[in-house]
Amino acid sequence: MKYDWQWSVFLQMASDGSGTWLHYLFVGLLWTLATALAAWVIALTIGATVGTLRTTPIRWVVRLGNAYVEIFRNVPLLVQMFLWFFVMPELLPARLGDAIKQMPPPWGSYVPAVLCLGIYTSVRVAEQIRAGIQSLPRGQHMAGTALGLTLPQTYRYVLLPMAFRIILPPLTSEFLNVIKNSSVALTIGLLELTGRARAMQELTFKVFEAFAAATVLYLLTNLIIVLLMRVLERRLRVPGFIGSAPQGTAGH
Amino acid sequence: MIEFKKVSKWYGSFQVLKDCSTYVDKGQVVVVCGPSGSGKSTLIKCVNGLEPFQEGDVIVNSESVGRAGANLNRLRAKIGMVFQHFELFPHMSVIQNLNLAQTKVLGRSREEATEKSTALLKRVGLQAHAQKFPGQLSGGQQQRVAIARGLAMDPIAMLFDEPTSALDPEMINEVLDVMVELAHEGMTMMVVSHEMGFARKVAHRVIFMDQGEIVEDASKDEFFGSPRSERAQVFLSKILHH
Repeated sequence: MKYDWQWSVFLQMASDGSGTWLHYLFVGLLWTLATALAAWVIALTIGATVGTLRTTPIRWVVRLGNAYVEIFRNVPLLVQMFLWFFVMPELLPARLGDAIKQMPPPWGSYVPAVLCLGIYTSVRVAEQIRAGIQSLPRGQHMAGTALGLTLPQTYRYVLLPMAFRIILPPLTSEFLNVIKNSSVALTIGLLELTGRARAMQELTFKVFEAFAAATVLYLLTNLIIVLLMRVLERRLRVPGFIGSAPQGTAGH
Repeated sequence: MIEFKKVSKWYGSFQVLKDCSTYVDKGQVVVVCGPSGSGKSTLIKCVNGLEPFQEGDVIVNSESVGRAGANLNRLRAKIGMVFQHFELFPHMSVIQNLNLAQTKVLGRSREEATEKSTALLKRVGLQAHAQKFPGQLSGGQQQRVAIARGLAMDPIAMLFDEPTSALDPEMINEVLDVMVELAHEGMTMMVVSHEMGFARKVAHRVIFMDQGEIVEDASKDEFFGSPRSERAQVFLSKILHH
């Protein structure tokens, strides 16, 4: 294959006049981060709550949690994105729906994108939290209960701190997924990194350069997240629990 | 102090406890033994409501455990429990393990709790390990921490569910020594165990269970001298021969 790379395109003025194409993509990266981080906060909050509730002995709460998880994990992200953007405002009371539709760009796309991505990811987080709690020995719950701790206290002080440590590696993958999945928001008009790479490609015809830059930016961002999560894992490591257990320690 | 009144429990259609009636008087040590699956662990977990039961009742300190709306958390705070697999909280240091319920359940200040915990760790010979984590201790040490954790709540009785059966042989005695000392101090204890040496030394009564039934409930001398039931005789001959 012969291709005439023209990296200098990044120093040319972007069509919207805000700066160079490099600057244009960089702003896209910031929107990607703003979308993903806000969605991640929603995902962790709802996911931790729903995942925890699904392990309680209260049956109707478990069923409600199950329904929530099954609805949002069995519909494609792209479809959910369209539902939040096109359908959700119509289902709300007219005033509120209109207010959402009339939000100035990019907020009109940003808000549905964050909600969609946050809830979509919360379901996956919920599954992991549930698995983490259920992977703990049953005796841990009993020991907390036997000491007189209430159910919420047992979760807060005994079960969740260990469950979170156990699921930290898959949670890292989930964090990376939010960053990557935020690219779907371009379909509802959010000019995040992928959206801007496409815009650049259409306006400059430099498809390889545009997407090469986007690839590198995604890769760097996620590598930084991986490193940060590694640091977190190391700081939260329980002495003697995973990996460095001394010889002759039975029971766990 | 603890009284079982015709307690029955089912898992689905399988009956794990059949009309169990017995008692533990204040200051008594009662050892519960029997083959595995006989319901002995289930029986002692009825005392603090860790295992719900369908029929009968358990009365602890004149409070009903089985009554609907019983304040189980308050009851549990007064009864120490030691498990087969220790069940220390792995993400907390030894001293934090001892402090947790003291501060969160009894409302003691951190200083008060730490003082109490330190004294108890000294008593079980582990004051030097206060800042270590459970994973850094041997099984015997972990179980002694678990006993101290129970004692930190100033319990009116202690329950032991096979406290030495997950331990390497050389660590069993360090745990039993702590328990013997407790018994001599007059702690009310219900102990599920196959350590017949321990039973001989400190038990007031021995209960033998088989298939969910209390087959034999006798004083220590009676039980070891002349067990009445054939099942208890067979069981004893099996576990005393090695």
